[in-house]
Amino acid sequence: MVSDGAGTPPGEADRRVVLTGFGVVSSLGSGVAEFTAGLRAGRSGARPITVFDTEGFAHAVGCEVADFTAERWIKDLPVESLGPATRFAVSAARMAVEDAGLDPAVLRRQHGMICVGTTDGESHDLDGLVATEVAHGPEAMDPVVAGRIGAARLSVAIARELGLSDVEAVTIPTACAAGNYAIGYGYDAVRSGEVDFALCGGADAMCRKTFAGFYRLGTIAPDLCRPFDADRAGILTGEGAGVLVLESLRSALARGARIYAEVLGYGLNCDAYHQVAPDQGSVARAMGLALQDAGIAPHQVDLISAHGTGTRANDVTETRAIRDVFGDDPPRTVAVKSMLGHTMGAAGALSAIACALAITHRFIPPTINHRRTDPECAIDCVPNEAVDADLRVVQNNGLAFGGNNAVVLLGRYDPPGPGTHNPAGPGAYDLTGPGTYDLPGPGATVRARPPSPASEHPS
Amino acid sequence: MTRPVISAWSAVSPFGAGSAAFAHGVTAGLRAVAPLGADGGPLPQTHAAPVPDFDARRILGRKGTRSLDRVGALALAALGELLAGAGRVQEIATGERAGLVLGTTLGSAASMMDITRDTLTRELPYFVDAARIPNAVMNSAAAQCAIRHGIRGPNTTVAGGRSAGLLALRYAMRLLAAGRAGAVLCGGAEELTRERSWLEHHAHRGAERPLGEGCALLLVEPPAAPGSPAARRALAEVLAVETRTHVGGPLADATAACLRRALTRGGVTAGELWAVSPSGEAAWERAVDAECARGAGGRRPVRLPDDTAWGDAGAATAAFQIASALAAAEHDPASRGRVAAITSFDREGVLACALLRIHPYGRIHPYGTKARTDDD
Repeated sequence: MVSDGAGTPPGEADRRVVLTGFGVVSSLGSGVAEFTAGLRAGRSGARPITVFDTEGFAHAVGCEVADFTAERWIKDLPVESLGPATRFAVSAARMAVEDAGLDPAVLRRQHGMICVGTTDGESHDLDGLVATEVAHGPEAMDPVVAGRIGAARLSVAIARELGLSDVEAVTIPTACAAGNYAIGYGYDAVRSGEVDFALCGGADAMCRKTFAGFYRLGTIAPDLCRPFDADRAGILTGEGAGVLVLESLRSALARGARIYAEVLGYGLNCDAYHQVAPDQGSVARAMGLALQDAGIAPHQVDLISAHGTGTRANDVTETRAIRDVFGDDPPRTVAVKSMLGHTMGAAGALSAIACALAITHRFIPPTINHRRTDPECAIDCVPNEAVDADLRVVQNNGLAFGGNNAVVLLGRYDPPGPGTHNPAGPGAYDLTGPGTYDLPGPGATVRARPPSPASEHPS
Repeated sequence: MTRPVISAWSAVSPFGAGSAAFAHGVTAGLRAVAPLGADGGPLPQTHAAPVPDFDARRILGRKGTRSLDRVGALALAALGELLAGAGRVQEIATGERAGLVLGTTLGSAASMMDITRDTLTRELPYFVDAARIPNAVMNSAAAQCAIRHGIRGPNTTVAGGRSAGLLALRYAMRLLAAGRAGAVLCGGAEELTRERSWLEHHAHRGAERPLGEGCALLLVEPPAAPGSPAARRALAEVLAVETRTHVGGPLADATAACLRRALTRGGVTAGELWAVSPSGEAAWERAVDAECARGAGGRRPVRLPDDTAWGDAGAATAAFQIASALAAAEHDPASRGRVAAITSFDREGVLACALLRIHPYGRIHPYGTKARTDDD
């Protein structure tokens, strides 16, 4: 029986879920090493958009994936049978499995889940089909492209590429929180013992449809994305994919895998209020549900990776919701979208990977392009420069179109040993039943934050 | 009952708006697929099964329907019927502890393509209709349902084409098992539009089926204690939902493995099968036949309707299949206490199978029809 040395009861290692491999395709580069270096350096992925015609738009900067060769990763499937988002997803899955040190031949003998979140699926392909239709009529649409636009393909193609038949392949197109949804679904499946592993994440490819939509709504920044800045002007659309390998702690320990972080829990809810305007009370409730699920008190959270899009509506609402839950002295709150742009369905996954890398490598990725913090966004966004930090619990926010919120909590996994104590382990805190967590409602008095733990102020 | 239960359902289908129309279509063996009229412009198919005379404004009212797309309206119509069924449904299927899981193929292709078309044909590329932008995101229909009815728990869209309804049911069961919701509405929705017709035509040239559309929703609740009111209300117990992915090799091997695991997980034998809802794939039929021949003394289960009745309803298909089993069970005393198998395959490569044990005493007051009165 594996024990984590921190009083974990027998069987607990089966119910704890850890992250052991990551695959990244992003505007900061591909693979864990490049991504980590980009986060630490505070690099910007912004560049002029080339993947669609931008004539007629006054400004068109985005965070495109450059210098990426899908054929390097996709070995078994004809690449032309996959749209651009699926190419990102399959490539990231290959990387994640490799990063985790897993042999696909071993995975083939196990029962698994593949869960990919997305906002637009293969909308870039749809854009192309519409262009054909407008120019030449619907009869002229390319059958190869028409055959690869189903959103299910984002996850099924991973199964096909890796030869995994005994898997539940499900795509979750719940917009910009979809990456977190996927991680949460994999967490429940692994935690319950139903599956041996889960490959979860998100993928999206930049498309004209979504760019034009955000542009029409006045939410595309002209140059850079500046979350929480008084002069912020909106998002930059981005693209890419992030895939995470989830498995039980027992499985990871048994095969001697490197453990990046532990998934402590997550929360899902719906504003049921407005398609595009987030609701402060409901966003706070989503964070509360995640904390409750993980058995974590607000003062134990060392860092929040915000949804942080850089729009007026999001940043003020999200900051206020954070203060509703965490009080007047909330944890440092960063927006990796300042570097990556808004990668839509990939955003939650890439941000979760960033959180886990921050835990592993003991640093906080910065919010770049920052000049002066908006007084209405009263948080420390770690402007422009990464800082070293000893992080035990990190919260990853995802807020989507339609008021769909998904919040994931990750914790540092400390291997057993004298003097180590993993505060994040499930069971370490009193897990109150559903609905009993003291959630501040809208307008509720914020609670004073308890004294900061030592981990908050790294030397 | 130790497994989650389905306690209500509703449908808007090519048989008409409402579960009564769907139940009639299923039990009377109707076929809704009909020749297409010439009024809608050139289409690649000659036959289809639209929801007849579907008028979103008439069913849903004027408020909030101006910018609604068809799949959103179909989902709202099905949800409206379900929540109107009885006071108790409204109570448990809305609010913070209620979840909604909706199956899709790719949202509304028409809404997405409309935006892109506007960027290409209008004076400036960003002259798109702002009110319709959210429709072009795939979770729009699920979000519209939540907003209109105050469903504040988990709200998830799952993509899996014809199998999406079973993926949604599986998701709903996990939400219940993890305590993330107290009750979950789940199902699937698909619209029949000019855009979908052309995309399906090009994607499946030579293997096209007449297209259908609609939405079916189920109310799924946690396991009910024997003899409890919840157990008496249950229409069926969800014994198992199993999925696999076809990645090559004979599809029949995958279907057989999927069915065997479902039977094992469900704790039932093929001899307990009362009915099978066909997937449209011969490999599934062979898997069921093989299992029945092995253990059931040659007794063949009832064959429930398929696409030939309601058309290829895309992401509504599996939800229609479940609804068809529940509707048929109500009219067949032989169903009671026995098992319906829902078999499913989507051309992307997803296969799935659900086993539902029909309530042993039959349902007295079905939520899914207007005859229902609240017996609490």
